[in-house]
Parts: sequence; C-alpha cells; structure tokens
Amino acid sequence: MMGTLLGDSTATLGMVLLAAINWHSLLFYLFAAAACACAVAVVLTDNVVRMAFYLVLSLGATAGIFFLAGADFVGAMQLMIYVGGTLVLLVFGVMLTAQAPFVSIRTPASDKVLGGIVGAALLMVLVLSAFSVESWRRPAMGLVAAPSATPLGMAFLGVRVDDDPLAAPVVDSIRSGYLLPFEIVSVHLLVVLVGAAYLARAKRRRMPRGIETAGADAAATGGRS
Amino acid sequence: MDPASTLPLLLGLAWLTPLVSFVAILFFGPRMGPHGKSSAAVATAAIVVSLALSLAALGTWLSVHPVQAVSHDSHAAADSHADSHADSHADSHADSHADSHADSHADSHDQALPPAYSGDWYTLYEGGALKLSIGWYIDALTVLMFVVVTFIASCIHIYAAGYMHDELHDFTDHTVHLSDGSHFHRPGRFSRFFQSLSLFCFSMLGIVIAGNLAMIFIFWELVGICSWFLIGFYYERQSASNAANKAFIVNRVGDFGMIIGMMALWGALGTLHFADSSGQNSAGIETIRPGLLSLVRPEATHHALHVPDGMVKFAAADRVAEITLDHATRTEDGASEIASRVDDWRAMGYGRWLLFVAGIGIFCGCVGKSAQFPLFVWLPDAMEGPTPVSALVHSATMVAAGVFLMGRFYPVLTPDVLLVIAYTGAITLFLAATIALVATDIKQVLAYSTISQLGYMMLALGVGGWVAGLFHLFTHAFFKSLLFLCSGSVIHACHTNDMRKMGGLAKVMPWTAGTMLVGCLAIIGAGVPFVIGLSGYYSKDSILAQALSFSQANPSHSILFVAATGGAFLTAFYMFRLWFMTFAGQPRDAHISEHAHESPRVMVAPLVALAILAIVAGWSLPGGFGIAAMLEQARPAGTAATVTSGYLFGSLTIPAEHESHVGAIHETATLAAFATAAAGVLLAAMMYVWRILSPLAVAWVFRPIYTFLKQRWYFDELYGAIFVQPVLGIASLASSIDLGVIDKIIDGVAWTARQLAGIDAWIDRTLVDGLVNATASATWSAGIELKKLQTGHLRQYVMFIVIGTVAMFVLASLLLRSSLAA
Amino acid sequence: MNLIAPLCAAGFFASGVLSDPVSVTHYLVVGAILFTSGVVCMAVKRNALGILMGIELVLNGANVNFIAFGSPYLRGEGSASIGLDGEAIALFVILLAAAEAAVALAITLNFYNNHSTVDIDEADDLQG
Repeated sequence: MMGTLLGDSTATLGMVLLAAINWHSLLFYLFAAAACACAVAVVLTDNVVRMAFYLVLSLGATAGIFFLAGADFVGAMQLMIYVGGTLVLLVFGVMLTAQAPFVSIRTPASDKVLGGIVGAALLMVLVLSAFSVESWRRPAMGLVAAPSATPLGMAFLGVRVDDDPLAAPVVDSIRSGYLLPFEIVSVHLLVVLVGAAYLARAKRRRMPRGIETAGADAAATGGRS
Repeated sequence: MDPASTLPLLLGLAWLTPLVSFVAILFFGPRMGPHGKSSAAVATAAIVVSLALSLAALGTWLSVHPVQAVSHDSHAAADSHADSHADSHADSHADSHADSHADSHADSHDQALPPAYSGDWYTLYEGGALKLSIGWYIDALTVLMFVVVTFIASCIHIYAAGYMHDELHDFTDHTVHLSDGSHFHRPGRFSRFFQSLSLFCFSMLGIVIAGNLAMIFIFWELVGICSWFLIGFYYERQSASNAANKAFIVNRVGDFGMIIGMMALWGALGTLHFADSSGQNSAGIETIRPGLLSLVRPEATHHALHVPDGMVKFAAADRVAEITLDHATRTEDGASEIASRVDDWRAMGYGRWLLFVAGIGIFCGCVGKSAQFPLFVWLPDAMEGPTPVSALVHSATMVAAGVFLMGRFYPVLTPDVLLVIAYTGAITLFLAATIALVATDIKQVLAYSTISQLGYMMLALGVGGWVAGLFHLFTHAFFKSLLFLCSGSVIHACHTNDMRKMGGLAKVMPWTAGTMLVGCLAIIGAGVPFVIGLSGYYSKDSILAQALSFSQANPSHSILFVAATGGAFLTAFYMFRLWFMTFAGQPRDAHISEHAHESPRVMVAPLVALAILAIVAGWSLPGGFGIAAMLEQARPAGTAATVTSGYLFGSLTIPAEHESHVGAIHETATLAAFATAAAGVLLAAMMYVWRILSPLAVAWVFRPIYTFLKQRWYFDELYGAIFVQPVLGIASLASSIDLGVIDKIIDGVAWTARQLAGIDAWIDRTLVDGLVNATASATWSAGIELKKLQTGHLRQYVMFIVIGTVAMFVLASLLLRSSLAA
Repeated sequence: MNLIAPLCAAGFFASGVLSDPVSVTHYLVVGAILFTSGVVCMAVKRNALGILMGIELVLNGANVNFIAFGSPYLRGEGSASIGLDGEAIALFVILLAAAEAAVALAITLNFYNNHSTVDIDEADDLQG
C-alpha cells in the first residue's frame, strides 16, 4: 500500500512535474549542453580526427538550437552545408595530411594556460554583455513562428512578404530583398571553388630534378677536364 | 638753280659727309686695311668731298650774290642810303623763299638785311614758345667758313696721314713708365685718330651751319668732347689726360655762362633762332615767328639796336602784373595798355640789363672756347695732343668757333658788351704775347700766339670791326695751321719740342723752313705798306685801324690801341725768336741735327698749299672778290654806321668800320703796324742771329719779370689756389665722410645683419634641424622596436586580437559607464 | 532513488529553470561559449586543420547570435527583433564559411606540399 501510494504519488508527482516542464526549454538545454560540451571537447583534444568528430557533433547540436529558435530553413542548411559539406571537406583535409607525426601535435603547456586565461577573459566579457541588456533577458512570448522558408526564399528573390509589426515604418520602407547579396554570394562561391581547385591542384616537381641533373652534368664535365 | 634750296643741300651734304666717315670708321675702322690704314683715306676722302661741296656752294653763292670791290677810299655814302635801298629792293627779289632775306645789296654799307637763307631740316621738339630744331642759317660768312674749315681740315687730314704713321703698328710710349720700369706698350690707334678728326669736323661744320643757338650749343659741346678725345689721345700720359680734362672743364665754366645767356634770350624772347621762321600757330594759320636778329634790330628802327619788347616786358614784370590786375576782367584792354606802354618802359631802360646779360652770357661761352682771359689756361696744355690736332684746334675749328659765334651773334650785342669784349681781347692779346716771349717749347709759343691772335679778333669785334675780326679769323686760320703743321714737321724730325735743342735746321729742312718763314711773316703782318702784303698784313692792319678809330672816338679807351700795337711788336719778336732759334744759326744739339730730315711729301704738300694761301688770303682779285669783300656782304644789318649810344657804362661811340679804311687813320695804323713789326723782328735778330744782345743777359737783368712770365703770370697757380684746391679739399672731405661715416654705417648694418644671420643659422641648425632629426630618429627606433612584435606566429596574433578586443570592451564599458554616470 | 529524482525535479522547478521559456540571453550565452571555444582553438592548436575548425566554431557561435536576434519566437515582450535579416545573414555566413573552408583547405594543402608539415608554428616566414 505504502509502496503503491508512494508509487502513485511519485507517478502523480511525475505527472505534475511532466505537465509543468517547458519542453521547449528542456530541449534547448539539451542541445545547448551538447553543442557547448562538444565545442569544449574540440578545444581540449589533441587528436585531429577526434576534433573533427566533436566538431560534427557540436555543429549538429547547433542546428537543433536553430530549429528551436524557429529558423527551420537555416537549421536545415546548417545540417546540409556545414555538417554535410564543410565537415566532409575538413575530413578530407585531415585524411590527406594525417600522417603519423601530424595527427596530434602537442601544444606547449604554457600556451595552453595562456590561451585558457585569454579565453576565460573573452568568455567573461561576452557573457557579461549577453546579460547586460534587460530586454534580451525577458522571457520569450512563446509565439509559434510560422515556417520561415517561404519568406526567406521570396526575400532571396527580392520580395519581402514577412510582416513585422514591430518594425518602425521608416525601417519598413527601406527593407528590401536579398537578391543582390544572394547573387554576389553565388558568384563569390563559384570563384572561391575555382580558386580552391587551382590552389590545391597537384604540382609536378620538375625544378629539383632539373637542378640535380645540371649539377651532375657540371660535376661530370669538371671531372673530365 | 634756286639758291634757297641748293645751298642748304650742298652745305648740308658737306656737313654730313664727315659724320658718315666717322660712323664708318667707328664701326669698321680697325678692319680698314692693315692696322686700319685705310681709315685715313676714308676720312680724307670725306673731308675732300666736303671741301668740293663747299666750293660748289661758294660758286652758287657768288653766282647769285656777286661780290663787289670794297672801296677803301670811297666815302661813307651815308647820304645815298635811301636810293640804293629802293633800287636794291626793286631789282633783287631773287628769292621768293619765305624764310630768306635774299635782298642782294651791291652796297653792303646799306642798312638793309644781308642776304641769308634759313630754315629747318628737322624739328626736335616744339611746344609752347620753345622750338628746338636742326636748321640752317646761310649767309656769306657761313659759306666762307665752310670753305676755309674744310680746306684747312683737308690739309691737316693729308698731313696727319703721314704724321701719325707711328700709330700704324704697336706703339711704345717712352714717356709713360709702368710700375715695373718698362715703357708702356699698346696697339696703334690710327683709325681712332681719324675717327675723332671726322667727328671734330662734323661738329665744327654743325656750328657753322646752325640756324639757332640751341643747335650751336649742341655742336659746341660736341666740339668740346671731340677736343677731349683728341687732346687726350695719349691718355696713358698723365699730362695728356690732365690736359684733356682741363680743356673740357674750363670750357664747361664758359658754357655755364652761355647757358645763362640762352636762358635770358629764350625766357624773354621765346626763340633761339637767328632768322625769322615761318610756322603754323595753333590755329593753323601761317605766321612769321621773328628771330633774334629781327627782334633786336627790327626793320622798324632801321635795324638800330633796341631792346626787344619781350625783354622789356620781362624786365618790367611787376608793372605788367599790376596792369593785368587792374584789367582783370577785360584782358584785351590790359594787353593793349601793356603794348602801348612798352615804348615808355623801353625808354626808361627796362630790359637793358637783360640784353646785357644775354650778350655777356653768350660771350662767356666764347671766352671758354676761344681761350680768352681768364679762361685761356686750357689752350697751352692742349698741346699734349698730336700736332695735327693742335693745328686743327688752333686754326679752323675749336677756337674759331668762339669768334665765329661772336660774329654771328654780333647784332644782339649792346655797346656795353662790346666794350667788355674789347677789353677782354686786349688783355688776352697782351698777356699771351708776353708769355710767348719766354716760352721755349715750340708748340707752347704757337699756343700763346694763338691766344694772342684770338685776343686780336675779340678786340676787333669789340671796337666795332666786325669784318676786321672775322677777316683775321680766316687769315689766321691759314697761317696758324701752317705754323702748327711746320712745327709738327720739325717735331717729327727732331723728336723734341724744346727749341733750345734745335737750330740750324733750315739746311736740313728747306721746305719746312721756307713755309714756316711765310707763316711767321704772315702772322706779323709783313708787307710793303700801302702796296701789297701777306694775308696778315691786311687783317691786322684793319684791326689796328679800327682800334685807332675807336680810340679817337672814345679817348678814355685809347689803351686798347696801345695794347694792340704793343701786341704787334711782341708778336713779331716771339715769332721770329721762334724761327731763328729753330732754323737759323748753328745746331745746338748734334745728335738731333744729325737725325733730322725733311718730312715726307705727304706732309710737305699741305705745307706748301697752306703757305700759298697764307700769302694770298688777304688779297682782293681784280674783280673785287676777296675774303674781306665777301664778309662785307654778310655784315649784319645796322652795324655799318657809326653809333653813339648811352648805355650802362656811359656814352660810347662805336665807329663805323669803313671809316677806318680811309685817310689818316688807315695810314697811321699801317705805319704803326709796320714799324712795330719791323722793330720786333730786328730785336729778335739782334738777340738770336747777330748775338748783339745776349738773351741770357736780358733774362738776368729782368729776372723778376722773366720768372713771372716764365711761370705764365702764375695763372695756373692762382687758379689752383682759388678753385682747384678748395674743390679738392671739399672732395676729400666728402670722400672722407663717405668712407668714414657712410661706409661705416653700411658696414655696421651689414655686420649686424651678419650676426643676426649667424644666430638665425644656429637656431636653424640646432633647434629646427634637431627637431626634425629627433622626429626621424624616434620614428626609426620606434619602427625597429615595433618590428619585434611581428613574430610571424599566427597563434600569437590570435591572442593579440583577443586581448585587444577584450581590452577595448573593458575600456569602452568603463568609459560608457562613467559617462552615463555623469 | 525515489527521493532523489523528485528532489532534483523540485530543485529545478524551484529555480524555475525548466518551466520558464528561454530568452535571447540563453542563446547568447551558448553563442559566447561556442565563440570562445573557437577562439581558444585558434590560439592553441598547432595543426592547421585545428585552426580551421576553430574558425568554424567561431562562425557558428556568431550564427547562433544572429538566429537568436532574428527569431520571432524568442522575441521578448516589447522588444524588437531584426526579423528575417538574422536568418538571411546566418545563411550567408554559412555559405561564406563553406567557401572559406574550401580556400583555407587548399592553402593548407599547398603549405603541406611546400613545407611537408601542417604545423602552423613553422609558418613564420613573414616575421619581422
């Protein structure tokens, strides 16, 4: 009985507790903890392969945070481009250079301590500034955001369809789409990819051998004379 | 052939030809042949062309105005004036030229205007009453003067071509010692000599042809500068350059008076032209502008001298102003009243002083140029120039200019001025003759004889002998140039000027001795009385006669005749002393007589030509033509008759000149001249040929007088003490003020500026440069230090960025917070 | 065991952490941690790829902030947001990060080819 009661009460309490939990906040805390922990892990580990792994986890967790903030399209892009593209690129880099001596290069302890102190200072500054504005600390109103993919897509085409009642009229009048930046970024991306391919192409090693041959010839002639 | 246009053309060309030669030699002289030898040919050709043109002009003149014999024995013909006047007006309007007074008068005793042509070639400036122009005034005097000047200048040019041959190569001047003891050595100056000669002739002819006083003054000064060039030809010699300066400066003293005279004339009369000139007034109407001659001797007074209206008004300026004030409202009334009262004022003597000042002023210029007392001191020193120059200066050009101007200006001179002129001439002739007695330098003797003869000319003009004075000017020009050229020939042969070293040269140099004898005879006026004589006989006799006539008319001034007669005696003595010492007797210096030789033909030929003219210049041709007759033709109107007038120095009678040509006066004068001249020659012969009287003994007996004369009456010392020393004293005072005060002040200013600049430089180097250098070195060392931050470690850079960011944040928040708190 | 869980839950409720909605500040703190991790990563890692990863972390942290400021969901009462701009910028950042990663990787490979190492401390050719 007692156990039942206790079990019941526990269950009841659990029910109550469960009903009181803000699931949105809970999920945020989970993802945030994962992202921060993995980021710190990236810093702490020396092995570059592990760093890459932790980074993937951190970025993925961040994508979750984006979803929670209502930025579903950005979150999706985060997963696709960052986790799916950039990280693959990094992993290629790791694989291309991951010879035994370079997998883990140790940093002097003094640098680590120094970096830690400096990082702590920066963190302190950033956190202080995060808490410095009162309106930022105000809890969210809990509005359920509409999916942002459509307005965002339209904005990239030059048309603003989102409605921001809080925006000042004067700001409203100059708000426009992102067609031009979008184009610039597109071309930029193309150029960068071409450039990257050019920079990273395999080079033939001609000169050293040529020099060697010339030196050998000179030595040969010198010896003969 | 219109003489009014032909004569100015011929004489103008004759005048300008030497200028062409001058310009040509000036620019191309050294390139004319070897050492500029051809420049002599150019200059000579120019002056000969000039002579030919002058002769052509003379021919033209004589064809229009034939000369008639001067009737010495004729009566004064004063009573026939009216008839001949009317006749000549009726028949002799040969010339319709507006400017000319072409009344040709057979009888020159007439009180009509002499024939003359005048006009302007070129007007330099015309404004108000002043008109400066280059013009001509041509009468018989001008034409004659042209012929004589160009003839003598031609002879001298030819002679100089031989005389100056030393200048054809590099010349060593043995009288100039350089600091190292050697003689001065320089290139020859042959072409420069002829260049100056040409300019000299041009200037002299300019004076002769000039139509107004201003133009005369221009060429007057040009003659002065030419004499400066030529006297100072050997300017390396201290004595030559001093003599040149002296001649120029002494002349300037006279010219100062001349400027005053010109101011008086122009200020009162508003014109400097001799003759009337036509011109357009401001309204464009043809008007006659009266000249000086017609203003002073207007036709209205029958050419008698009277003070011109302008001078009267000028002198009576107070009264004119009074009347003008009274009629301030109606100027016409005032003008008419002034005009009506001019005659009264003239009678009261207004303006006489002004006319006197004008005459004396112009005479001052002539005193300087013609070497009269007291400005004669430059002429003996002018012997420093080459001998041809002396000949030219002493005969036809420079000293003649003064007498010529007096002759030209004669009608304007009042009796008072004439008296001053007469006394000046008398003093000069006596003074110079006494000095010449004891001079031993052959050219000095001639120089003083020139001064003496110029004194004669002035005396003649002063006592009313217009023709006599100018006649003597012409005859003197011939025989004096002859004498100088002869002396040049002697000097050329002996290389010395000292007569005491000469003697017996007649055997070696017969031509020179002969021609010089002619010259000496001419200058003493030798001749058979009342029959015939050398040129000097006629001219000197007429001077003495006029002086005697004047003395008789004015007994209180009879000293003038005594001086003239005594001068004739002295002249005879010193001229023959010169000739005897040089040519007669035994050689005194063997060395010199051995080397003496007759001069080259180019030098002898002019001597002969001049000797002939020295003989015949005074003669009258059968047709009556002679220099005196031609001069008579140019006699200024109103000067022919005897005039008695009371002026500033009391009553004075200027006797008519023709009165001295007749009867007792003429005979007395001729005999006196002959007797004195003969006495002088005899005395000279006694002392220097026959040795009856020892010159040394005479000099010993009259020791004080001899020394006094030898020292030239101490005139140079006197002027030195009175004028030169004070001026030098003032100059040295000014110089010491300049050096001691002004220079010191300037030096002090400069020194101060230098010190200030030194301080400034120190500030610049130390402070400014130091600041700039310090900035630069600070930047440099900062760069060196900062370079160490550039470590190349990427991780460190990241660290820096983060630290920087944090620091900025902290700083910004602190500042923001404090500002918010505030 | 039974007691601990409720107590923990109660502690949470007492502090109100789990029941309260999250605010922009929460996101900013997460962004700050990510950013700081990236910076420290860049400052400490000697491997060039490690530094690239640090850059990615930094960009990511910045992106969190943009999303937070642009999110209508997190908007507090009476406070403005940058709206759609935040998301747009975040997208651009992602794209540029990808481009940067590509170029940086190419540079790294070049460096590796030339120096036969990826140790960034060896790349001090430009030191002063």
